Amino acid sequence: MKNTIKVERAKKNWTQAELAKHIGVSRQGLNSIETGKFIPSTVLALRMAKVFDTTVEALFQLDDTEG
Amino acid sequence: MEQSVKIANRNSIISALIYGATYVPTVWLLKHHVLSRPVSLVVAIVPVITFSIFIFKLIKAYAVMDEVKQRVQFEAVVIGFALTTLLLMILFLLSMCGISNPGWFGYAQLGGYCWLFYFVGWGISIKKYGL
Repeated sequence: MKNTIKVERAKKNWTQAELAKHIGVSRQGLNSIETGKFIPSTVLALRMAKVFDTTVEALFQLDDTEG
Repeated sequence: MEQSVKIANRNSIISALIYGATYVPTVWLLKHHVLSRPVSLVVAIVPVITFSIFIFKLIKAYAVMDEVKQRVQFEAVVIGFALTTLLLMILFLLSMCGISNPGWFGYAQLGGYCWLFYFVGWGISIKKYGL
């Protein structure tokens, strides 16, 4: 699973700590999601899409190997 | 949210310290047989109560964690449980062979190993998620 969180965050000029506060996770937790180590729940993905004013599909995409 | 997480964490740490403060003197009193049997039974209940409170606070702290930390705790418990079960099975099989070492693997030590395995699982999970 790949994501564009870092890109969207850069557009907003937010630090990880700022985004983490907006979506209600710890900064370390957000880093884990951003680096693809942790796949967030649907609720958290939707919350993230909402703060970036985009869709979950735009934020998260399956890898080529994942079909 | 952040404040409630801090309060829950602080409460679980305080209750863990209270448990430790009741457990150690209780074990000392029971080990040295300084009390009569009925009083010993009453004293033995004290750390059971403080440990129950600690577990309650720990579960409350878990409930307010974000989902990444909840996953870490969950995996730590799963690994800790699996390793503890493995150890119990090995000790059982060894005891069936007539081999046992209560000095290293008594009830008190098994509780310690259980926590040790939990922390092993915690370490593995933290590394996995890069926390």
